[in-house]
Amino acid sequence: MITTGPPRVQGPADPLIELIDVSKTYKMGTMEVHALSDVDLAIHDGEYVAIVGQSGSGKSTLMHILGCLDVPTTGTYRLGGTDVSRMGEAELAEVRNRRIGFVFQQFHLLPRLSAWRNVELPLLYAGMRNRAERKKRADEALEAVGLANRTAHRPTELSGGQQQRVAIARALVTDPAIVLADEPTGNLASDQADEIMTIFESLHTQGRTVVIITHEPDIARRARRLIRLLDGRIVASEMAPVQ
Amino acid sequence: MNWTETARSALDSLIERRTRSALTMLGILIGIAAVILTVGLGEGAQSRVSSAISALGTNMLIVTPGSVTTGAVRGGLGSSSTLTLADAQALGSKLNCPDIAEVAPVTQKSLVLTAGSANWTAPVAGTTPSYLAVRNRQVVAGQPFTQADVTTQAHTAIVGSEVAQNLFGSASPVGRTIDVSGVPFSIAGELNTAGSSASANQDNIVLIPITTAEDMFGQTGPYAQSVSTILLSASSPATMGAAYDEAQDLLLQLHQIRNPLQADFTITPQTSLLATASSITKTLTVLLAGIAAIALLVGGIGVMNIMLVSVTERVREIGLRKALGATPGVILRQFLIEATILGVAGGILGVGVGVLGALVLPHLVSQPISISVPAIVGSVLVAAIIGLAFGVYPASRAARLSPIDALRSE
Ligand SMILES: Nc1ncnc2c1ncn2[C@@H]1O[C@H](COP(=O)(O)OP(=O)(O)OP(=O)(O)O)[C@@H](O)[C@H]1O
Ligand SMILES: [Mg+2]
Repeated sequence: MITTGPPRVQGPADPLIELIDVSKTYKMGTMEVHALSDVDLAIHDGEYVAIVGQSGSGKSTLMHILGCLDVPTTGTYRLGGTDVSRMGEAELAEVRNRRIGFVFQQFHLLPRLSAWRNVELPLLYAGMRNRAERKKRADEALEAVGLANRTAHRPTELSGGQQQRVAIARALVTDPAIVLADEPTGNLASDQADEIMTIFESLHTQGRTVVIITHEPDIARRARRLIRLLDGRIVASEMAPVQ
Repeated sequence: MNWTETARSALDSLIERRTRSALTMLGILIGIAAVILTVGLGEGAQSRVSSAISALGTNMLIVTPGSVTTGAVRGGLGSSSTLTLADAQALGSKLNCPDIAEVAPVTQKSLVLTAGSANWTAPVAGTTPSYLAVRNRQVVAGQPFTQADVTTQAHTAIVGSEVAQNLFGSASPVGRTIDVSGVPFSIAGELNTAGSSASANQDNIVLIPITTAEDMFGQTGPYAQSVSTILLSASSPATMGAAYDEAQDLLLQLHQIRNPLQADFTITPQTSLLATASSITKTLTVLLAGIAAIALLVGGIGVMNIMLVSVTERVREIGLRKALGATPGVILRQFLIEATILGVAGGILGVGVGVLGALVLPHLVSQPISISVPAIVGSVLVAAIIGLAFGVYPASRAARLSPIDALRSE
């Protein structure tokens, strides 16, 4: 394990998420794709951030690094003051489990498991042994997204919006500080998209840090901060006017 | 994620793909059943052969004239033997040979037997009453001849069942008279049926007192009182070696031979026959078990194949589980458990089929199949190890998947 000095005590002014000079390069045979180039980014606890940009601009790549699903090729990522950019697989898995809730565009629910069994998965990996307690926590998370009466349904028995709400419940069940969502409404009709966005807003109101990738200006506008990517670089980072 | 949860999850995913899981187990099942049956068949044959051989006489040593070490018969002239009654007497002394229990000198000739109008040719063995003990034979009707018969050169005979059958049919031969080369003998008893061994038919034989035989076979000169073999029995299987050494030392001394390599006799332990026979059946068993092991190996490759398919099929699921916090170790464990369950379940079912076969088949092929507990325990263990071993590669592939690549794949 590589550690960079003693862990710093997190002060109120220190960012929760801090990217320093982060690049991500994919090698495609002899060609190199620079998905992210020299990205510096700081997100503070409780922020509500939207990431926008053209297709292929590196939004998902950035999000995967933020979510510890991937590591930068170069540069440093500090999460809550800890350098996670040099962590091994097992440690990253624990960070993902404890600190981050991830919502995908394609929901990624396991089709054979009922809603609550999908939601309890992170608790299993967190080592919670008591099944009754896992069920209770999963039910609570499902209730929080308005699916109290759908806990025993399988994904195929739910609408797209409901499936995404199950996915959000799964992201929230470990009570993470950070919720990351990669185009969470991309596969949804607009009324269902609205419901989902309302949930994210309430998460923000509860004090969680929320980062959402979106293509839709409407949705982007509802965030408190907008980050624009172009060809793997941050070209704009602006605070929305206080509404 | 703890072991029970992982095992549950592994079991769930196997049940979900039940047809495929069952077919994979079938591969292991066939391999294990084949191992159990072939090992059982081999052991059955082995115990049959060794019981047939030990029926010839337990703890027996056979002293024959001539030497096998030099490839030539020493000391003898013509067809005469170098072994004598005196040798046998000396071997019978507890002082000389404390570990030799019984000594039976034998001098044997094939002669024509006549009873009424029936005649039959059989080996006639002149011997002493010890013959029965050494050869592990019993007199089932009438009486054995006695030491007194030997001393008095009595014309008393004991006949094997085949001789009796050929001369008297189903009537009892006891008390009847037979002519051996024209000399009348009264039959004192009939031997039990022993069947034929590798060397000779044990039921086609007539036993008479050795003194009578010496007289009849008419040997004279320096080789008078020579015998064709001396049968010895050690006091127990554990003293076979000691009995062998005592007999060898004594005979060398009596024959005034210094170098054991120049011995004019050969001592063959019965156990060496047994060892030869059992080494043959053992070779057979190993060969058969080897073929069965190949079947098992193929079953193991089946497990690997199915696990690889399963990993490929579940790439997205694996990616998702990792994204939610599953460590590579947890993923590895889940796939290893799945493979091991396939192996163990296949193994247990294979044991069931194998044991059933071992119980049913002997009735159909009249070949004994023993049920070997070590083979059963070993098979299940091997099946588990095969599942585990052939699961390692697929499982480590699953564990190494990057969550992003896995989630992105279709
Ligand atoms: N695994 C990979 N191997 C090679 N190139 C990759 C890989 N992943 C992403 N890229 C490249 O990196 C660049 C950024 O991809 P990314 O998925 O981050 O874009 P995006 O902004 O999320 O696009 P979209 O809006 O279409 O989702 C693209 O040019 C893409 O082709
Ligand atoms: Mg994307």
